[in-house]
Amino acid sequence: MSGRIVRAAGTLMLVSLLSSPALAAEPREPFDDRYCTTCHGSDGRGNYGVQAPRLAGMEGWYLIRQLENFRSGVRGTHPQDIEGIAMRPMAAKLDDESIADIVAWVGDWPYVPAEVTIAGDSAAGERLYATCAACHGQRAEGNEALGAPALAGQNDWYLVTQLKNFMAGYRGSHPDDSYGQQMLTMARTLVDEQGVLNVVSYINNLEDR
Amino acid sequence: MSKPVTRREFISLMGATGGTAAALQVGTALGLLPGGAQAASPELLALGSNRRRVAILGGGLSGLTVAHELSKSGYDCTVLEASHRCGGRIFTVRAGTLIDEIGNRQYCEFDDEPHMYFNAGAARIPTTHHNLLNYCKELGVELEVFVGENNNAFLQDDAMMGGKPIRANDYKTNMRGFLSEMLAKSLTQEEMDEPFTEEEAENLLGLIRSFGDLNEDLVYSGSTRTGYASGGFLTHGVQRDMMAFRDLLKTRMGRQILSGYEGDYGPSLLQPVGGMDQIIAGFLRQVGDRVRYRAMVAAVQVKDDGVEIAYDQDGVRHQLEVDYCFNCIPTHLMAGIDHNFPSDYSKALKYVRRGEAYKAAFQAKERFWEKLHIFGGITSTNTPSRAIWYPPHGIHKAKGVILGAYDYGGGMYHTKMSQSERIEAHLSDGEKVHPEYRSLVEKPITIAWHRMNHMLGCSARWRRSFREWTGEEEAMYHTLQGPVNGRHYMIGDQISMHSAWQESAILSAHYALSDLDQRVRAELA
Repeated sequence: MSGRIVRAAGTLMLVSLLSSPALAAEPREPFDDRYCTTCHGSDGRGNYGVQAPRLAGMEGWYLIRQLENFRSGVRGTHPQDIEGIAMRPMAAKLDDESIADIVAWVGDWPYVPAEVTIAGDSAAGERLYATCAACHGQRAEGNEALGAPALAGQNDWYLVTQLKNFMAGYRGSHPDDSYGQQMLTMARTLVDEQGVLNVVSYINNLEDR
Repeated sequence: MSKPVTRREFISLMGATGGTAAALQVGTALGLLPGGAQAASPELLALGSNRRRVAILGGGLSGLTVAHELSKSGYDCTVLEASHRCGGRIFTVRAGTLIDEIGNRQYCEFDDEPHMYFNAGAARIPTTHHNLLNYCKELGVELEVFVGENNNAFLQDDAMMGGKPIRANDYKTNMRGFLSEMLAKSLTQEEMDEPFTEEEAENLLGLIRSFGDLNEDLVYSGSTRTGYASGGFLTHGVQRDMMAFRDLLKTRMGRQILSGYEGDYGPSLLQPVGGMDQIIAGFLRQVGDRVRYRAMVAAVQVKDDGVEIAYDQDGVRHQLEVDYCFNCIPTHLMAGIDHNFPSDYSKALKYVRRGEAYKAAFQAKERFWEKLHIFGGITSTNTPSRAIWYPPHGIHKAKGVILGAYDYGGGMYHTKMSQSERIEAHLSDGEKVHPEYRSLVEKPITIAWHRMNHMLGCSARWRRSFREWTGEEEAMYHTLQGPVNGRHYMIGDQISMHSAWQESAILSAHYALSDLDQRVRAELA
């Protein structure tokens, strides 16, 4: 991981350029943008404690898209999107270089399926999932060509929150969020919370992707 | 809401207090004052030639307490601290300090002088917190008086008197006068005679008169306790007009003035000279060489014969194998770290909510409050910023650092704002108390504990409601208080029933140390 040391030195230089020269007697405490694990847990395994989802195993292209969405306000600005609002300022100040660095870093983390925490009717969920499979894949492995991320192995409580947010329009309502708009329509086919629990319960069975 | 007490009930309650008072006398004789657990550092068995390795996860006060006590007894301690500094929520901000809020990093630009600092977390020490005071003494941390309650500070509420700030003393004196007058008038002679002797009744009435500064007719007509309209030193003082009772009833903030400075918040309070982090500096003089900084724990595996820790430092994953582990990582962060704790332990970790407290501070270009006869203390406002704290230190110096906001309840209101929105909110709130506020302050800093890197929250919230603990909550608390396999201890003010106090962090550490000591004594016996 020598890359980190080189990049950290670059950050230091940037800091000293930006800081007020009058106060530059002592070097300032350096920082970097690798904050993710504070919220998202060791190796990005997800943390129920702060409702931050698993990043390990998330596709790089999807991470970039979401970080860009958070940065621009396409995601995390709806007043009812509690978790999204928490994430937005974390991404708001990232530049493209930082995003690329973070995504490369996250890519190092091993894929570990999240623990199962919800109960639903998996058989009923399987029938519902047929609609999802068209984009997200039979094994919920994701499909970059369609812009649909992998779902298998994700924290089930996070999938539940996001599906509910899509259904309520807390996510996917922004005019520039074309993928989110598609997902909003699809999520509403689940009808109610039980449908959400059932389909996520089925996705929990697809962990070994 | 509790139902109002009738006059009859009130009288009988007063009559019934004889028994309570007797009990209190006995208690005081034994030194059993409120919060008065006898201070005692745990007497740990010195290891001698035996060796025990200990990992301490987190360099907060509880972690450093453990490191200090165990090092004195010959244990081999390693402290892993995720951030660039020790202390956790004992955090003093001064010239150059990095405030590592995720998404909103700040460097403090205060003038570089000893009195120009801000205690962004813990900020006052109750004198009943003996264990903390003991460490201050042992570690050579110099203390001075902190001023919380100040009669000359202000109370401001848009709902009262057109939003004009009034002195806390004006509210307090007038409200006490009105309350006393009501109380005195409500007591008929017959009622006084019933439960009390003549001497007791006379004493009680005298006390009520004195409490409210009533005249001989038991009427409140203003008081010189609020100062004089004119004169008072070389000429007779002229009493100020009393305020209208109805005006005072317009604000609901009276409880802050009349009862906000009791218990842990009551006088006398103390603070370390030069900043609360002098306590941390004191511990680090003893165990500073045991601390590894920017060392972020990735996994904790409890084994039969010890604990294996994985942590990331300088981009490299390290392993640390120890006999025992003390862990003051916030529960809500520990829930996201790889571990093999039992399921009830894991459930409790996930249950605890994180606090949202928020503070902000400004450098004042001049000590404008001193011109208003305010030296230390707290102004209360019914704005989202809630308070202005004036520094009790640095009196008569050119500048000072003031607290410009302290939202200890739902701090998310400001947390969700951008830095510039936060500052504007505090400036406009402050202008309601000090009209020239905007031009008198500069170099703002904000501390949103909910977003501070490696913390992501203020003090632990065990209860889902403001009522009593539920049985389930108590059970989960005791689960986390106990060790895993006799090897791993959760510690910190989070593992107490009185979170947010340094004393709680220390007592939690002592509790765990006593348990460890018993086990080690048994092993070595």
